[in-house]
Amino acid sequence: MLNLENICFKYSNQTVAAQDISLTIAAGEFVAIAGRNGSGKTTLTKLIMSLLKPTSGSITFRGENTKKFSPADMARYVGYVFQNPDRQIFRDTVALEVAYGPEQLGFSPAKLTLAVEKALQVTGLEAVAGAYPRALSKGQKQKVAIASALAMEPEILILDEPTSGQDSQSGSGLMELLAGLNAGGCTVLLVTHNMELLAKYASRTIIMDQGTKAYDGSTRELFSQARDIAKWGLREPATTAISRALTEYGIQVTEDPRYLAKCLVDLIGGARHA
Amino acid sequence: MTAIEFKRFSFAYRGKGNVLQDIELTVPQGNFTVISGPCGAGKTTLCMAINGLVPHYFGGSVAGEVQVAGCNTLKRKVSDLALQVGSVMEDYESQLVAMTAADEIAFGLENRGIAKPEIKIRTEQALSLVGLSGKESSEVGSLSGGQKQRLAIAAVLATEADILVLDEPASALDPEGAEELYALLHSLNREKGLTIVVVEHDLSRVLPYIDQLVIMDGGCIVKAGGLEETLSQIYSDGKFINYVPAIYQLKFSHEKMLASRLPDWRTEREALADLSRLLVLKQLEDPKSA
Repeated sequence: MLNLENICFKYSNQTVAAQDISLTIAAGEFVAIAGRNGSGKTTLTKLIMSLLKPTSGSITFRGENTKKFSPADMARYVGYVFQNPDRQIFRDTVALEVAYGPEQLGFSPAKLTLAVEKALQVTGLEAVAGAYPRALSKGQKQKVAIASALAMEPEILILDEPTSGQDSQSGSGLMELLAGLNAGGCTVLLVTHNMELLAKYASRTIIMDQGTKAYDGSTRELFSQARDIAKWGLREPATTAISRALTEYGIQVTEDPRYLAKCLVDLIGGARHA
Repeated sequence: MTAIEFKRFSFAYRGKGNVLQDIELTVPQGNFTVISGPCGAGKTTLCMAINGLVPHYFGGSVAGEVQVAGCNTLKRKVSDLALQVGSVMEDYESQLVAMTAADEIAFGLENRGIAKPEIKIRTEQALSLVGLSGKESSEVGSLSGGQKQRLAIAAVLATEADILVLDEPASALDPEGAEELYALLHSLNREKGLTIVVVEHDLSRVLPYIDQLVIMDGGCIVKAGGLEETLSQIYSDGKFINYVPAIYQLKFSHEKMLASRLPDWRTEREALADLSRLLVLKQLEDPKSA
């Protein structure tokens, strides 16, 4: 569906933000993009979105080279949700905000109404459709941004750190929403620092390091093998790290602290804790 | 000595209901206090009640009082309070006002009438503390989100306030950056005796440093106390179980199944060392189980 071939990109101050990156994203994948601040994660998503154009290499989307595509062309197929929803919300009600994208795409009034209703319903925002979006909580504003992208009926959804600065309940709610959309066929590309969410939801992980692709493969394999992910600035979820360090005693690698506790209790038994 | 004291403090923004309700909280001088809880719990308003933005800037109705270093904040100006309380707000970008990183740090210092040579020294030190050395003349607008957040922190550190209030200071930082920031705050806390109040959603980042943990919900304090007792209560209550860091979920769940106590762990390393020891002992005791 999306193919990047030997992509390089330099900012005008000569900072190289992407170096010889090749990758393919298939329809229906849930891919996480991780790495340090400044490693090129956001640059990669902006290149995909045609917000930036590669210095060399080519990007093909649905079989067409995107060289001449504008961000607006891409927006027909790709929904982009920025890290800070405040920077993209500008209309007076949630429903109007969500309608903006499909209006620009020229949806007919009937189709527009339907698309907005559906986007509000999927994101659970029907009750606040008439509310002033800036007065909502950060978690809800993030959902408004996602609904705005969904209303354009995208095939791919790109989200730049949607869970940062959110409490864990809103964060998990958001991830469940994305998992549901993905199950319905939407391809999800998620930039995140949160390793717990990444381990739980993304089947594939791409790690960026100084503008290069340092890892591209299954998330399970990334965490189950003794890979040194610290060199990419990442931290394994605590439970995964502890369980992996204890495999020599017959413990299985797991992300679930309660399951790990049960395995430990089975092995150690009850007598030993004074 | 008490650095901050909330005495039955309630606050409502104009025309709205109470966002803080009967808050009773004491932060001793030199304490590292962490506040957590869902969005809309009142954490940010609580922070702004310490630096005086609530109620002086936002306005609204107040009951009770907040004392900072023994003085009622209602009777002091925000600019006076700023000499003692350095703040990094949730929307850190909105507090950046200057063109370059060095100017940003100098801004607060010039307002305090500090001499130029001293400003230069403090600017270099503060930028180095947050890992932005050499960025003095960088335009603020050209910095990444994480770098801007570090700059806002550096500007506050340079003022040498005794109390630091930081509202989600690591929200835009990568895991390494967050670790470094909290290690820095810890050393300022332990070595210089600064009082630190931090709002943080991900408690695993701050676990090793917490003296007092405060959980808020719906404008009230659900629980405030030492780390272990607070976590233990929210774990057994269940409502905020997501806030309990993984190593404590592991510990509490293990303890519950065995009805016996494990030692207190602050880091993954401590948990691992302890569990490995238990597994080795078990093997020695019963070699067949290995």
